[in-house]
Amino acid sequence: MNIKEYIQSGIIESYVLGLADAEERAELEQLRMQHPEIGQAIQAFEKELEASASRNAVPVNPDVKANLFDQLGLKLNEEHSSGTEEPTVIPLERRGTTPFIKYLAAASVILFVISAAFNLYTYNKYKDLEAENRQLALQRDQLYAHNNTMQTKLDEMDKNMQLITGPDMIKVALSGVAGKESSQAVVYWDKNNKDVYLVAKALPQAPKGKQYQLWALMDGKPIDAGVLGNCNTICKLKNIQHAQAFAITLENEGGSPAPNLEQLYVMGKI
Amino acid sequence: MVALLKERDAGAFSYLYDNYAAALNSIVRSFIPDEQLANSVLQDSFVKIWNQASTFDSVRGRLFTWMSSIVRNTAIDTLRSKDWKNSRQNVELTDRNNEIAADDLLNIDAIGLRKVVNSLREEYKTVVEMCYFEGFTQNDIAETTGIPLGTVKTRLRKALIELRSRISNT
Repeated sequence: MNIKEYIQSGIIESYVLGLADAEERAELEQLRMQHPEIGQAIQAFEKELEASASRNAVPVNPDVKANLFDQLGLKLNEEHSSGTEEPTVIPLERRGTTPFIKYLAAASVILFVISAAFNLYTYNKYKDLEAENRQLALQRDQLYAHNNTMQTKLDEMDKNMQLITGPDMIKVALSGVAGKESSQAVVYWDKNNKDVYLVAKALPQAPKGKQYQLWALMDGKPIDAGVLGNCNTICKLKNIQHAQAFAITLENEGGSPAPNLEQLYVMGKI
Repeated sequence: MVALLKERDAGAFSYLYDNYAAALNSIVRSFIPDEQLANSVLQDSFVKIWNQASTFDSVRGRLFTWMSSIVRNTAIDTLRSKDWKNSRQNVELTDRNNEIAADDLLNIDAIGLRKVVNSLREEYKTVVEMCYFEGFTQNDIAETTGIPLGTVKTRLRKALIELRSRISNT
């Protein structure tokens, strides 16, 4: 069979318009599978018919579409009926995502507030501890200083103890004279190097401008042994080579060349 | 588009209607010049398009061809229905001459394919008229007219080739 002649026989037009009988249709559909040009010819005529119908288009009353959709129970979108052929844009449901961000924001705000409160609390705590630490450091320094003082005192006491308990040390107790019975003092005199130490056991506070002065007595003559300055417990006084007794008088500040016997407080013999 | 239509997507159907209703209406009008009845036929056609969308096979032909076929069948069914015949009988006389006269009257307003068919020579016009517009099979025509089936087939094909060449110029 000549396919070109077959195509031009009018069977294509008959088939497309739906006028071919069953026998003709069967024959065409079988040939169509073997000859692609038959399919192309069918398509070409279909397009011609469609183009012709479009050219001759007869506008339809809008009621027809309304009735049609009503009959089918379909919802008629006015945008389509008005001729615009743009697809309807359905806005995405945003409710699904928005709350999550809202919750997230709320959570972060809450966390921030908690964090800020905690930071404030921690800062105050830190300030308290810092002040406490400073106080403790100060107390520690004071204790160190105090300890040093005590240590010095102790060393001095120890030195004094060693001194007065030395084997060459002569202890002379000075007792209060008549009218000054409550006064007491002790003199330690080193036999070897002749150093003199005094412990004012009980002497009234010297009035202003006055100082106590120690005298060594040898053959009835007083020898200046020095004044009592601001010394702790044991005062080292002048070196005395010879003495038979010691006595203390209250003299003008700086001491006197000769004792004022009316101001004699204590005296003791060796 | 076709897939959406087969899934009975109302939006796709609306789009289809907006794009093709007027073109399909030209086919309806070539069968039925009366606007009111034509509108009814067009609506019925679209109901069938909606309901039968799943049977459309794009391998066999174009969507418009398929829809045209539905429109043609609906128009023929309507013209054959009793109501239409009765209403027509009320208006016109039943004798053959008057019927022809009525056809001539319709031809004044003939549009689209009908107009082209009317321009064909008589023997072509008759066979196309009976086959395409009235829905007779070629066998029916051979029996009704007494013309041999082979001749009917040949005439129809030649008429359609002639028709096609004229369609291109409309």
